[in-house]
Amino acid sequence: MPGIFVYADTVEACASLISAAYGSARGVCALTFDEKRADELGGYGADKVFLLKGDNPMQESYAKAIAALLAKEGPEVFLVGSSTTGREIAAKVAMYLDCGLVGDISSLAFEGGKTITTRYIYGGAAIQTEVLDGYAVVTVPKGKFEARKYEGKTSDVITLKVESDNRVTLKETIPLEKDSKDLGAANIVVCIGMGFDKKEDMKIAEDLGRVLGATIGCTRGIVEERHWLPAGSYIGISGTTVKPSMYISLGVSGQIQHVVGIRDSKIIVAVNSNANAPIFMAADYGIVGDMYEIIPLLTEAIRDVKV
Amino acid sequence: MSKDYAYDAIIIGAGPAGIACAYTLAKNGKSTLVIERGNTPGSKNVTGGRLYTYALDMVDEGLAAEAALERKVTHEQIIILDGNRSISIDYHDPSFNSECKSPQSYTILRAVFDEWFANKAVELGATVACGIKVDGLIEKNGQVVGVVAGEDNIYAGIVIAADGVNSLIAQKAGLISDIKPHAVGVGVKEVILLPSVTIESRFNLKKDEGASCLMLGCTEGIHGGGFLYTNRESISLGCVFVVDELAGHGRQVHDIFQELKMHPTIYPLIEGGETVEYGAHLVSEAGYREFPKKPYKDGLLVIGDSAGFVISTGYSLRGIDLAMVSGIAAARAIIAEKDPVRVGPVYMNELEKNLLMPTMKAVDGYYDILEIPRIYSSYPKLAAGLFEKLFTVDGKVPRSMKKEIRGLIKQNGLSAWQLIKDGFRGVKSI
Amino acid sequence: MAKIIACYKWVTDEADIRINSEGSIDFSKAKGKISDYDKNAIEAAMQAAQSIGASAVALTFGTAKAKLSLKDALTRGPAESFWVCSESAEKADGAATAKVLAEAVKKIGDYRLIICAEGASDTYARQVGPRIAARLDLPCITSVRGFEIQGDVITATRKLDNRTEVVKAGLPALISVLPEVNEAPIPGLKAVLDAGKKRSTEFKLQDIGLTDADVAPRTEVRDFKAYIMNRKNIIISADTNADKVKELVANLRKDGVI
Ligand SMILES: Cc1cc2nc3c(=O)[nH]c(=O)nc-3n(C[C@H](O)[C@H](O)[C@H](O)COP(=O)(O)OP(=O)(O)OC[C@H]3O[C@@H](n4cnc5c(N)ncnc54)[C@H](O)[C@@H]3O)c2cc1C
Ligand SMILES: Cc1cc2nc3c(=O)[nH]c(=O)nc-3n(C[C@H](O)[C@H](O)[C@H](O)COP(=O)(O)OP(=O)(O)OC[C@H]3O[C@@H](n4cnc5c(N)ncnc54)[C@H](O)[C@@H]3O)c2cc1C
Repeated sequence: MPGIFVYADTVEACASLISAAYGSARGVCALTFDEKRADELGGYGADKVFLLKGDNPMQESYAKAIAALLAKEGPEVFLVGSSTTGREIAAKVAMYLDCGLVGDISSLAFEGGKTITTRYIYGGAAIQTEVLDGYAVVTVPKGKFEARKYEGKTSDVITLKVESDNRVTLKETIPLEKDSKDLGAANIVVCIGMGFDKKEDMKIAEDLGRVLGATIGCTRGIVEERHWLPAGSYIGISGTTVKPSMYISLGVSGQIQHVVGIRDSKIIVAVNSNANAPIFMAADYGIVGDMYEIIPLLTEAIRDVKV
Repeated sequence: MSKDYAYDAIIIGAGPAGIACAYTLAKNGKSTLVIERGNTPGSKNVTGGRLYTYALDMVDEGLAAEAALERKVTHEQIIILDGNRSISIDYHDPSFNSECKSPQSYTILRAVFDEWFANKAVELGATVACGIKVDGLIEKNGQVVGVVAGEDNIYAGIVIAADGVNSLIAQKAGLISDIKPHAVGVGVKEVILLPSVTIESRFNLKKDEGASCLMLGCTEGIHGGGFLYTNRESISLGCVFVVDELAGHGRQVHDIFQELKMHPTIYPLIEGGETVEYGAHLVSEAGYREFPKKPYKDGLLVIGDSAGFVISTGYSLRGIDLAMVSGIAAARAIIAEKDPVRVGPVYMNELEKNLLMPTMKAVDGYYDILEIPRIYSSYPKLAAGLFEKLFTVDGKVPRSMKKEIRGLIKQNGLSAWQLIKDGFRGVKSI
Repeated sequence: MAKIIACYKWVTDEADIRINSEGSIDFSKAKGKISDYDKNAIEAAMQAAQSIGASAVALTFGTAKAKLSLKDALTRGPAESFWVCSESAEKADGAATAKVLAEAVKKIGDYRLIICAEGASDTYARQVGPRIAARLDLPCITSVRGFEIQGDVITATRKLDNRTEVVKAGLPALISVLPEVNEAPIPGLKAVLDAGKKRSTEFKLQDIGLTDADVAPRTEVRDFKAYIMNRKNIIISADTNADKVKELVANLRKDGVI
C-alpha cells in the first residue's frame, strides 16, 4: 500500500505525524515498536499499523529492516519524529533508499504528488523551501502537529518480526533530570541569559517564574559553560524549541541560534541593558535597563495583578 | 611533532607597518614570520580610512595601482560645527596630484586592505600566522632573540615590534613607558553601508571619486575632531578625543559620537545607512616630542604606531603611510646590516634618509596650535556666528562688520588679546 | 598507521550574511569558516588518535573555495588533510555529501574511526554521519557527548531527548559528536607553523569513482529567503523602571497572556 509511512519513537509523536499525514488524502501507515499501544494508532487516523518486533532495545538498530520494509511497500513519503533516535533512523533509511531527507522541518504541505517543506538554515536567519518529488524522508520536530482522534476509526495491526543490527550495544540508560523535560510544552517560559553574573542571582528569575507559573529555560552558555542548569534546559537551534503563550528573556542578547527556538512563542518580552541587543528585534515588548532592578519590580507587579 | 623554527626576522603585528617591513624583507630573500593576533590581518584594526598612496609605491613600484583601495580622494572638506550650525569648505580637484602616477590618497577599509597587503607579502615568501598573540620577548644577555606566544618560543635573528599604539612589546623591552593620557586619543568609528549611487549623489562624486571630510567643533570642546571618508559602498564616520580631557568631561565618547551622527549637517549624509561595524581604538597624539629616544635595542626594532609615527594635525591624520615608511626603513636596515646589535643606528639613518624623521620634526610645531583649547569650541562658534551675520538679511540697517565681530568675540568669552596670542602662536609654529 | 578521519565542512559564516530589506540574502561580504561543530569533531579525532596511537586526518568535500579551509583544519592538529573538490558541493544535499565522503573514506583507507559533527552550522541537517555509516556499513553512534576507546572497542555516552545512554561498538565505526564532547582549543603558534608543512591531497570526483550524476541532490530547493520577524517591536520608554514595568504589565494583560 503506497501513501505516507510514519514512524516516531513514542506513540504521542507518532499520533501527531499521522494527523499531519492524514490531510494529504493518501493512505497513512504507522510503524511502531510499542506493543501495548499499537492499536491506539488507528484511532488517530492510521489506515494500517505495523508493529515491529525485535530484541534490541535500541530502535536505531532496525534502520536497515525499516528501509527494507519501505522498499517493499513503496510509500511516497516517510515522516519521522525528530528525536535523536528518529533522526538516525531517518538518515540511514534515506541512504539505504538513496533518497532525499529534509530534517527538522518547520512546515509541511502536500501538493499534487509532491511534498513541500520549509526549514531554517543559517542558524535560523533564513528559511528554505524544498520540493520533494516522490520518495523522500522528512523529520518533523516534536509537537509540530496536533494529534487528532477520529471516533470509531480503527485499523489492522500487522505484527512483523524485524532484524536488528547488533553491532552497537546498549550498556546503560540514565534518565535526565525531570525538570528539563516539559520546557517544550510550557505555557510560559522565563529564559535566563548570560547577563546573570552569579548562579545565586538566578533566584530573582526563579521568583518571577514562580508568580507566573512559568518554566525556566536558558541560553546555551548557562548549561554548557556555566553548568548552572541541567542539560535540556537551553533553548535554541541545538536545544529545545519552545512555543509558549509568553516567553520572557532576561539578560539574553538574542543571537540567531537562540532566537530560532523562540519564534513560535505568542508574545516575546525582552529585558536587556543594551538597547542595541538583537533580542529587541525579535521581541514584542522590550525594556532597556538593568534586569537586576527590573525583575523584582516585574515580579511584584505581576503578583499584584494576579491577586 | 613540532619542529624548531628559526627565522631571519619575526614581525609582531600585521598592520601596515609590519606588512611593509615583511614585504621588503621577503622580497630580499629573508625568511620572515609575521605574527598577528587578529584572525585575519586588519580584522582588529580601527582606522579612519585614508591612505596616502606614495607609501605603497615606496614599498614597491606600481603596488598602489593594484592595491585593494576604495575611492580616490578628490574632495577635501572641512566642516566646522557649532550647535546645529555648520560651515563647510570643499576643495575639489578632480586630477588631484596629476603629476604623479597615482592620485595622492585613497579611502580604504582596513579589513580588506590589510588582508590584500599581507597576501602580497605571503606571495613573496613571508609567513603570516594569524590568530596568535605574542606575549613577550625572549632575551639573552640583553639581546632580543625571539618571541613567546602562549606555550611556544620561536627564535629569530631580529624581532620587529609593529604591534601598534601603546605597544606592549616596546613597553616590555623598556623602550617606551606606559601611555600618557595627554599624548593619546581615543578614536571611535562606524562603518555605515550605503549604495554607491547614494554616496556619489550625496557627496557630488563621480564613480570612483571619494570625499574626505574632517570636522571641528564636534567634540564638545575636547581636543579632537571628527572624520568622514566615503568608501565604495559605505561611509566611515568617526571622531577622536584626547583621553585625559575626556576623563574630566564626564560624558561618554559613545554619546558624543551619537550626537555627531544626528547633527543636521551630518545626518543627511548617512541617512538610511546601516551600521555594520563599530570600533574604538587608541591614536597617538604625541608627535615628535614624545617620540622614544631610541626606537630600538639589541635585536629589536620598533616601527609604525608602536614607535609613535603618527601625524595628527586636525586637518589631516596620517599614520598608515608613516607606518609603511618606517617598516621599509627597518627592512632596509636589516638587509644592509647583518649584526642585530648594530642594526638600530642603521635603522635611524634610514628613517632620516627616507624623510620620515624630518617630516616628524617639521610638523611638530603644529601641535602648538592644536593645543589651544579654543580651537575645539570657541573658534567654531565664532566662525559660525560670523557666517550667520553675513548671511542674515532682515531688512534692518546692517551693522558694521567690525562691530559684529567684536560683539561675537565677547559673546564667545574670548578676548582680542587671546585671539592675537593664538594667532601669533599659529604663525610661529608654521 | 591506522587513521581516525574527522569530516568537516567549510561553510559561510552566518555572522557575515546580510539581509536586504526585501528579504533577499546578500552573501557577497561573507567569509568562510570551518563549521563550528566540526572544530569539536577534529579535536575529538585528535584525542582519539592520541589515545590509540593512530593518526588523525581531516576530510572535506567542498568547492574551490574550500581550499582556504585546509590550512585551518591542519592547524587544529591533523597530520594531513583530504579535500574532494567539486563545484557540485555548492548544491549538494545530505545524500550527495555522504556519498562523496564515504567514497573518499574508502580511498583514504586503513581507518579505525570516522568522526562527524551532529550537523553543520549552516544547514544543520543532521544526517551526513549516519548516512556515511549506512553506505559503508559501519556501526554508528550519534549524538555523542563523550567517548573512550579501549583496544578495538569504543564506549560512548549519547545524549537523547529524555535520557543518556552508554553504548559500545567495535571498530571501525562512525560517531557523530555534539559540541560538548570537548573544548576545541585555539591553535598555538607552532601549530599554525606546522600546518604549513603538512600534506594536503586533493581528489576529484572521478578519483573516488563518482560522477556528477551520482552527486545530484535528491531534493530541489525552490526558494530561499531571509526569515523576517513579524513582531510588535515595542520598546517601552517610560521614565522610571517602575513605570516601564507597569506599562509592560498593562500590555501583557491586554494581550491576555497574564
Ligand atoms: C552553531 C551554534 C549553535 C548554537 N546553538 C545555540 C542554542 O541552541 N541556544 C543558545 O541559546 N545559544 C546557541 N548558540 C550560542 C549563541 O550564538 C549565543 O552565543 C548565545 O545564545 C548567547 O547567550 P546569551 O544571550 O545568554 O549571552 P550573551 O550573548 O553574552 O548576552 C548577554 C546579554 O545580557 C545583557 N546583560 C548583561 N547584564 C545585564 C543586566 N544587568 N541587565 C540586563 N541585561 C544585561 C547583555 O547586554 C547581553 O546582551 C549557538 C552558537 C553556535 C555557533
Ligand atoms: C579612529 C582612527 C582613525 C585614523 N585615521 C587614519 C587615516 O585616515 N589615515 C591614516 O593614515 N591613519 C589613520 N589613523 C592612524 C592609523 O590607523 C595608524 O597609524 C596605523 O594603523 C598604524 O599602523 P601600524 O601597522 O603601526 O599599527 P596597527 O595598524 O595598529 O597594527 C598593529 C597590528 O598588531 C597586532 N598586534 C598588536 N599586539 C599584538 C600582539 N601582542 N601579538 C600579535 N599581534 C599584535 C594588531 O592586531 C594589529 O593588527 C587612524 C587611527 C584611528 C584610531
